[in-house]
Amino acid sequence: MRVFAGQMTAPAGRTVADAIPLVVIAAACFGIAGGLPLLQIAANRLVVGTPVSAVAALGSRGWLVVGLCLLGGLLQGAGRSRVVAFAALAAFSAALMLLAAGLGAAAADLVAGQPPAARARLASGSWVGLLLLSGLVAAAAARVRMPGSGWLTLAALMAGFVLLYASGAFDGLSLAMEYRARAGSVRAAVIQHLILSATAVALSALGCVLLYAWRPGRGAVEIAVNGLQVVPAVALLGGLVALTSGLLTAFPAMRSAGLSALGPGPAILAVAAYLLLPLWRGLEGALRAPDPATIDAARAIGLTSHQTLRDVRLPLGAPILVGALRVASVQSIGLATLGALVGAGGLGGIVFDGMSQFAPDLILLGALPVIGISLIVERALSLLENRVRQRWHG
Amino acid sequence: MSHSHRLQPVVGPLVVGLALAVLSHPDVAKAIAGLLGDSVRRPLSAGRLIELGAHHLVLAGTGLAIVGCLGVGLGILATRRGARGLRGGIDTAAALAQAVPPVVVVALALPVLGFGGPPTLLALVAYGVMPTLRGTVGAIEAVSPEAREAGFAIGLTPRQVLTQVELPLAGAGILDTLRIALVLSIATAAVGALAGASTLGTPIVAGLQNQNLVTMLQGAGATAALAFLCDALMLAAAGLLRR
Repeated sequence: MRVFAGQMTAPAGRTVADAIPLVVIAAACFGIAGGLPLLQIAANRLVVGTPVSAVAALGSRGWLVVGLCLLGGLLQGAGRSRVVAFAALAAFSAALMLLAAGLGAAAADLVAGQPPAARARLASGSWVGLLLLSGLVAAAAARVRMPGSGWLTLAALMAGFVLLYASGAFDGLSLAMEYRARAGSVRAAVIQHLILSATAVALSALGCVLLYAWRPGRGAVEIAVNGLQVVPAVALLGGLVALTSGLLTAFPAMRSAGLSALGPGPAILAVAAYLLLPLWRGLEGALRAPDPATIDAARAIGLTSHQTLRDVRLPLGAPILVGALRVASVQSIGLATLGALVGAGGLGGIVFDGMSQFAPDLILLGALPVIGISLIVERALSLLENRVRQRWHG
Repeated sequence: MSHSHRLQPVVGPLVVGLALAVLSHPDVAKAIAGLLGDSVRRPLSAGRLIELGAHHLVLAGTGLAIVGCLGVGLGILATRRGARGLRGGIDTAAALAQAVPPVVVVALALPVLGFGGPPTLLALVAYGVMPTLRGTVGAIEAVSPEAREAGFAIGLTPRQVLTQVELPLAGAGILDTLRIALVLSIATAAVGALAGASTLGTPIVAGLQNQNLVTMLQGAGATAALAFLCDALMLAAAGLLRR
């Protein structure tokens, strides 16, 4: 299995890459205007609604969004200077905010005068539009070539969305209604999810170091860690719960010691088991990172093996270690979702509630934070990885 | 190289897979549950397990076929001369796709595609394509430039270089990528049980809901057995094809 994403910075072929945004924008506009519904109006939160087209939902505001997108695309094609890139970023960001606000207003219009149970739900066209615009914003932010431009843009957009939400611009959207009904439990689930995945990473890292220190068993550990990866997650969780509950029945004393077959315990254990492989590979790669000549040199100037580890091997291997931590963390956040299957709580709990109720908004309420947290952690740790690489490798 | 040497890596997964298959047999699972002091309930019959396993395999196989065609095909396209600049984008897209775990894809597709196979298949494809694509690109890029240059030097066309130089040399790497994709597919198909697809994950999910230890054990054993046996099969194929 390939664990590390190579950091490629190959310059894109100019003509092809510059034309892509315009083509994408044009295709999306045609698709959304032509057929994909933007919203759905349903009698309550569980039934499938009737679709509402883009023209009916957005009206003239829709053309403003399209115009801003095309402006951004044209600006990107026009040149590579920072000012032009900045203008394109502004155009795309404005289009994104405008689309979101427009959807909120259209939803409010749709549910106005309807019974209180009526819901205006985002439909496929909205998701395609919002996703594409987010992608365009991200690409435009990267073209500004200013350190931290991506994070600044993200922070500004988040602030914009929070302000819009607070001002009630999204009140008509079913997702916002669902969130308002469960804000407390969603926030608690986010925190639970973070704790679950962080504990799993920490446990796995600890286990990895301890196993690595056990020199004679290294070959066997390697085989076991690789083999674990083949076991499907659902099977590992099910097997773990079956075995623990069996053991608890056989030895009731363990139950009084606070152990239980369901809950965060088995989930953390199962997630940590999967993280062993990326972390193990990372540790191994990091310790092998310095070439033998460097190690010889360190020994020649009289460093002890402990000092070599601390001053040579770990600094030189640090980027690989951070890379492994990145892969493990993203996997951990995803796998922790499955932990709700054994009653571990977290965002997976909300997703599973939504699935059992067949309530699309509730599923989204659990799923969107999982995706968001994964993306933020992935970006943040890959940023750290690059920093560490520059720090130690020039 | 002798055949026995080539098939050596197959032995481990094969033995583990067979042992787990034995574990999932109704009588064995019942005995283990009894040993653990559980109030033994009715296990799944071997026939039902095989039926679920066949369905699981069909679902995972269909997913692998789509993932293989898309991933390897796009991987070949991405390594062509004109598309070199896309490489960074592929790595980013692969990292992004990893941020959406299969459970979440299944859950999100549920209201749109309904219960059962379709959301599972979508999750199989969504989760499998990017790693396969990246693995294919990696395998083709690992072909030494000298071999490629030599191909051009003896007058091969770009297409001939692809089919006669690059693909044979990258074959082992691509096969390894497909092996991982198959193992991923089997894991994801088990997750599909949450969306009502009848796979070997079904007895696990049902067992967790009804506190039925026997079906939980059987499902877990059988799912893991299927994964290990498929892993062994792909390792065997890779071993026999190696030059």
